[in-house]
Amino acid sequence: MGGGGFTMYERASALDRFVLTLTEKPFPKICFLPTASGDPREQVTRFYERFGAWPCETSTISLFHLGRDRIDPIERLLAQDAIYVGGGSMRNMLAIWREHGIDTAMRTAWERGIVLAGLSAGAMCWFEGGISMSGGAPEPVAGLGFIPGSLSVHLDGEVERLPTFRSAVATGALPPGYAADDGAAMLFRGTELSDCVVSHPGARVVRITPDGQGAVDEQDLPTRLLSRAESTGPSRTESDGVAELRALRAGRRRWD
Amino acid sequence: MAFGGGGFSMEWGNTLLDDHVLALTGIERPRVCFLPTASGDADHYVVRFYRAFPASRCEPSHISLFRRETGVGDPRAHLLAQDLVYVGGGSLVSLLGTWRAHGIDLALREAWEAGVVLCGGSAGSLCWFADSVSAFHEGPARCIEGLGFLPWSNAVHYEEEAARRSAFHEAIAAGMVPGYGASDGAALHFVGQELAEVVSSRPGASAVHVSRDADSGPTEVGIIERELGVRYLGATPVPLREGEAIAA
Repeated sequence: MGGGGFTMYERASALDRFVLTLTEKPFPKICFLPTASGDPREQVTRFYERFGAWPCETSTISLFHLGRDRIDPIERLLAQDAIYVGGGSMRNMLAIWREHGIDTAMRTAWERGIVLAGLSAGAMCWFEGGISMSGGAPEPVAGLGFIPGSLSVHLDGEVERLPTFRSAVATGALPPGYAADDGAAMLFRGTELSDCVVSHPGARVVRITPDGQGAVDEQDLPTRLLSRAESTGPSRTESDGVAELRALRAGRRRWD
Repeated sequence: MAFGGGGFSMEWGNTLLDDHVLALTGIERPRVCFLPTASGDADHYVVRFYRAFPASRCEPSHISLFRRETGVGDPRAHLLAQDLVYVGGGSLVSLLGTWRAHGIDLALREAWEAGVVLCGGSAGSLCWFADSVSAFHEGPARCIEGLGFLPWSNAVHYEEEAARRSAFHEAIAAGMVPGYGASDGAALHFVGQELAEVVSSRPGASAVHVSRDADSGPTEVGIIERELGVRYLGATPVPLREGEAIAA
């Protein structure tokens, strides 16, 4: 995801819900990792707020509080059907993951077919590289490299990333890749892009390749607005939180 | 100055250790930078720092490595310009990973060599040593390699958490370098790499030196744990001659 979802207060829950549907399980296990933001409690709360009302088994991993939780983070990761990675500092997240062995565990999870999802730093990390603000100014940062190519996020929300991304792709500092708006997501099956989905009309995914003359070519990719069946949210008159609380109270374990 | 536990984050209202580290700078209104990295730059921790170190007594600042786009632009230059760097507690493993990713480890060594006072509690103590046994935030107890400015090992919350002491003894028996354990409220004051004094914010706080018994046999390794003299900061300070604290 270029952005959006529960951590960014996106009211529409389509993208978050889409992550769950990809598991193709009636009651998937989903685990949230807020490492890139330093494991703030507030994000964890909002994760449970959004996913707690849906038919899934929720958990989180805080790498700053492992002693409190007394869990083996790798064991917990590999027991999931979906892993959802939050945004923040990509450089910090990858450094901390390496210290805890999470980087290799993520590869194992991916190879086992566990759905890997995330936004911002939690989206760019799967690629060979991205444009991160981890150092203050936007700059190219290497990712885990599961997916060939590069990704720049918040195309519409943080416009200062795009010029850096363009020049990194043009000069070869980053391989060709994609830029995605908040609310736009790319679905890869294996290393192949299979679908671009959006939570609101107009959200873009742009393919960015070097033009061979020191600049880049940019091509909008076709996107699909997530349908009600995939993303049925609450009525427009109440917030997701209220609707989900209602659903929880009513003991409903359905999609909508 | 390595706290076994204490300072504003653990002893709200007891300012003895924090006052002491401020005084160590020898400057009336020292520049103090807080590094909350080990807590993931938790907002509440940063707020408490600014309340404990108000502008009336120092020039406070902090560096957030999770939000580099805001705040201090050049962490290295900023750290070198300080009189005191105060490191908060939390996860040692995550702290070290994050610091190395931003070159903070190298900047702190430069600052230390330039005479900046470095202090902290819990993970903010363990980080300065060569090795430590961490159990609180890192899951099962394990040996973690720190920055190594001090060529010893370290254990914190030494009296408060029984498992730490046994894990520390086991690690030293297994070959970890000798080192120091400190309880909550006790602070190890190193000048260069040598222990100069142990001070405390509580009358009963204690600190020990732990080493292998050189005379122990090949099958059974003995451990020598020596209690160190502690100067309580709350009482009228009694000047100590150099070395006395260690010999006591």
